[in-house]
Amino acid sequence: MNLQQLLLPASFFRLCETSRFGHAIKFSQWDFAILETLHIMGIAVLLGSTLVVDLRLLGLGMRRQSVAQLAEELAPWTWGALALMIATGIPMFFSEAVRMSLNDSFFFKMIFLVLAISIQWTIYSRAKRSAAPERAGFGKLVACLSLICWLSVALAGRGIAFIAIFVRGVRVS
Amino acid sequence: MLQFVQWLNDTPFSSGLRGGDWYFPVIETVHILGLGLSVGTVMWVDLRLMGLAMRRERASDVIRQLEPWAMAGFAIMIVSGSLLLLGEPLKCYTRTSFRLKAIMLILAGLNVLYFHTRVQRTLAKFDSDVILPWRARMVGYASMALWVGIIIAGRWTAYF
Repeated sequence: MNLQQLLLPASFFRLCETSRFGHAIKFSQWDFAILETLHIMGIAVLLGSTLVVDLRLLGLGMRRQSVAQLAEELAPWTWGALALMIATGIPMFFSEAVRMSLNDSFFFKMIFLVLAISIQWTIYSRAKRSAAPERAGFGKLVACLSLICWLSVALAGRGIAFIAIFVRGVRVS
Repeated sequence: MLQFVQWLNDTPFSSGLRGGDWYFPVIETVHILGLGLSVGTVMWVDLRLMGLAMRRERASDVIRQLEPWAMAGFAIMIVSGSLLLLGEPLKCYTRTSFRLKAIMLILAGLNVLYFHTRVQRTLAKFDSDVILPWRARMVGYASMALWVGIIIAGRWTAYF
């Protein structure tokens, strides 16, 4: 399953990749390495900040703090890291849009990313606010969902580099 | 040293790791997830020491509650990292990035050791202060700078 089969025509991805922006990054020696490095630092902060809140929701760490207090302190780091990841991810996508459009792992990464952000925005913020003891089960469920989604984003993201792509039976990447 | 690395590179275990289709991707993925767990938790300790985040929590609280997770993360990193290294000893040996990474890892270890042996017990009476004594702040800044450097050098081991 990939983006090209499902959503958008091949011409869109060709347009991205041949645009001046995509082209510049693709043929620069340093741009991609720098973007990738920032992207990976972003994931450490993003996973780290959601993980600490998740551990708290699961009752496994930072138990002396309230969920709401912890979440309030860490939220700017989570959203800041997400902003960094998107800001570095989009240029990387442009530089190899055609390969991404055919890459199954990229497709699943996008699915999990949409899921993870939706969870973060909706039930996660609810779980953080209402941390009454009788709702601890809900908090645990949300923490597990959030962890599974973000870890899947990271897994599928790393997988992008390892997926072989075949066009009409010929391996192209 | 080069001879040893070459011998290591030629051992069946090393070439087996290199040869398998799936070993490398799987180990590298574990390494990345370990990064989230280890640096993702230790950064809060660093930021607390620097006085930049978790300012309302007591420093000892942050350290005591997050350190076990950071340690678990580092255990994952060391195991998966050693396997990655054993898979490509010669490549790593010749990469400047990897040498820098190794040096920074040692420094980061010494930094933690310095904190636990010298700095931590002086913190008791400043525990709730947002701004901690300068030694503690320096440990935080050094750790943060080293981990950022280690991530950069680690990622760049693939390139330079």
